[in-house]
Amino acid sequence: MNNKKFNLISIWVITGTLAVLTGLLLIFFIAFSGSLSSPHDDVTYGKYYVLITDNPGSSFWQSVYSSALEEAKEKDAYVEMIAENLSGDYAMTDLMEMAIAARADGIIVTAGEADGMTELIEKAYKAGIPVITLLNDNTNSERLSFVGVGNYNLGKEYGKLIIDMANFREFAGETIDVTVLLDAGSEDSGQNVLAAAIQEAIEKDIPDAVGRHKPIAISLEAVDASNNFSVEESVRKLFVSGKENIPDIIVCLNENDTNSVYQAVVDYNEVGRVNILGYYDSDAILKGIERDVIRATLSIDTGQLGRYCIDALTEYYETGNTSQYFTADSYVIDKTNVGEYRKGEQHDQ
Amino acid sequence: MINKIKGLPLRIKMTGISLAVNMLVFIINIVLLVAMNRMSDRIDTVYKANLQLNEISAAIKDVQDSMTEYLDTKTSDSLEDYYRSAQSFAEMTEVLGDEITDSRLGRMERSVKNMSAAYLDEVGQTVDAKRGRNVEKYRTRYEEATRLYGYINNYIYSLNNERFMDNTESYREMLTAFRRFELFGNLIMGAVIFTTALLILNLTSNLMRPLRSLAGMADEVAKGNFEISTVPAESDDEIGVVTRAFNKMVASVQDYIEKIRQSAENERILKEKELMMETHLKDAQLKYLQAQINPHFLFNTLNAGAQLAMMEGADRTYEYVQVMSEFFRYNVKKGSRTVTIGEELELVDNYIYILNVRFSGDIHYEKDIDASLTDVEMPSMILQPIVENCVNHGIREMLGEGKIKMSVYALDDTACIRIEDNGAGMDEETVERLRNGRPASDEKKDSNGIGMDNVYARLKLFAGTDDCFSIESDGPGKGSRFTIYLDIKGSRYR
Repeated sequence: MNNKKFNLISIWVITGTLAVLTGLLLIFFIAFSGSLSSPHDDVTYGKYYVLITDNPGSSFWQSVYSSALEEAKEKDAYVEMIAENLSGDYAMTDLMEMAIAARADGIIVTAGEADGMTELIEKAYKAGIPVITLLNDNTNSERLSFVGVGNYNLGKEYGKLIIDMANFREFAGETIDVTVLLDAGSEDSGQNVLAAAIQEAIEKDIPDAVGRHKPIAISLEAVDASNNFSVEESVRKLFVSGKENIPDIIVCLNENDTNSVYQAVVDYNEVGRVNILGYYDSDAILKGIERDVIRATLSIDTGQLGRYCIDALTEYYETGNTSQYFTADSYVIDKTNVGEYRKGEQHDQ
Repeated sequence: MINKIKGLPLRIKMTGISLAVNMLVFIINIVLLVAMNRMSDRIDTVYKANLQLNEISAAIKDVQDSMTEYLDTKTSDSLEDYYRSAQSFAEMTEVLGDEITDSRLGRMERSVKNMSAAYLDEVGQTVDAKRGRNVEKYRTRYEEATRLYGYINNYIYSLNNERFMDNTESYREMLTAFRRFELFGNLIMGAVIFTTALLILNLTSNLMRPLRSLAGMADEVAKGNFEISTVPAESDDEIGVVTRAFNKMVASVQDYIEKIRQSAENERILKEKELMMETHLKDAQLKYLQAQINPHFLFNTLNAGAQLAMMEGADRTYEYVQVMSEFFRYNVKKGSRTVTIGEELELVDNYIYILNVRFSGDIHYEKDIDASLTDVEMPSMILQPIVENCVNHGIREMLGEGKIKMSVYALDDTACIRIEDNGAGMDEETVERLRNGRPASDEKKDSNGIGMDNVYARLKLFAGTDDCFSIESDGPGKGSRFTIYLDIKGSRYR
């Protein structure tokens, strides 16, 4: 009897185990099928914008892009740096053509004043594609808006920094040589405005400054940015042409120049003698400030840059028109506030 | 439910088990197969996209080539080629996705689609310009189209690359998932096979258990042991039927054996009784014959004596000899048979008469007889030895008048014969000895040789019980009482 009961129980136990095993198999199968046929239910967007810049991999442009993308997604649009999709390097004009052919709903481009770019903006305009120029304007074109920093104000800032340095630092030569690095290729009016603003700031200062600091000589140096390594080569040239020719203050107007000059100063053992005024607040540049190699840098609110572009396009599609100019904030970072700035940055993240 | 299953025939049970197990394995196989199919389908779709892009790439090349060919030669063949290839290219790009999504692949696909449209437009204008002989226009259009062609090719190439990478990634993931599934499936399959084997073992042993116990019981029976408990019939299937039949068979064999044993026992008891009776009778007869060597000679002699006494006119002598002759004849005549109480009483009368002649009327014999009981049967030679015992041990040596009283009366269905004397009586020890059937040591002399032990034994054999005879005495000098109890009914219908 006992044996019989035991047998009955074990039959149920075994049957139960079988059922559980089969159930497990089915569950696993369903899970497996699910993992196989995971459909790409991606979010779809109403508008497709293209962001075209030189040097899209730099952290400056990545920062601009990410804020633009964030803003665009909120506005039911997607913004893309098409250069990143493609194998091979394309000039901005090629990328512009592609964007036009691909019927983007908006193109954001660091245009510059070149004629080819003006034509392409014209072409886009004819194709009904609004173009926003970013940082480097193309004033003669049919661009919708320009989003940038106030180059005049920026130049003033640099000028003030140069005078501060002239007042408080020792310089070896008769005059304080200031070299402003400009992009040789881009016929960007912004650069010229900026350089002019620096010049103006220093000249205006002279009456007060007489007898207080050595005379300041400003020279403009064109940096060849036409290919990948030319920037670095151009910068090195400054350092190899003899010690007496190395400027006391180097003003860089983009992230790439800043990085190259920073490295060159370290390599040629000119730390302390050559003062760098940088551009942008990448991690490397902030480190340079902390190590006292870069005197100061101008940080531009990349978030604002990105957002303004999308806002301009959105406003255009909503109202048919938008402002011609958007100006992003900029501020100076030097040794006194770099720690605070980093903390704020970490806090933002 | 269980009972219902138990009632099913064995073959259905067995079929059911094997069907269930096979079904289970079948289901698991199906599941595994379906999973594998899905896997291969998925792999198909993964590479279909690449294939599609390659086709588009080939198609756009056709368009470009045929256009270039037309621009070069302006043949109608090449124009036809161009139209055909442009048509097929347009159809191919038509199916590409048109949505702006989070997926880079999707966006690139859309760009390819749009650029293709732009390219076709450009190519169309180029061909139109060529046909219209607008050399300037078709050259610029051609350049434009060629540039677009390059862009599209690059886009397709990049997209293909991207897609391939994506596919490779998902293929790897899929492969991992599939390996995991395979392992898991195998594990479960193994576990299922194992538990299924257990289940079958269990079920079949459940089915076979009654059969085994039945075989064990049959072995026991074969060894001659019928004292086995019944095998429990757990189910209503074929085995249950066999089990019940076996139980019935064992039970009836047991019954039969018991009956045979009982009747053998009865026969043995009967035979034993008969044998004992015969033995005692033989004993009595032997003793009698020893005493009266030739009764016929004695009767004849006594008869001759009696006739002589009659001729001489000695009437009392005649009567005496006559009685004595009858007394002895009774012994010869009735010795071996059952007799009636009446016949026995007559013998006692004769004996008393003889004794009274011998001892000059010393013995006073009284009778109180229920006449209706004289036909009741009893063994012969019972009362006379008792009376003789009373005379010899009770009243012969007493000083006063010796009395013997014989009473026959009914007590319910029992006929009682009581013989009392007022003689010497007996002490407790003697009574006890007589009750146990052991005679006194000096008994043999002066008697017809039948002792009390013999009487008692024959009475017991006749009645079939020990309670047929009692001996009582109130003590030495106070007389004795012998009582015989006979079953009236049994005797009358014997």
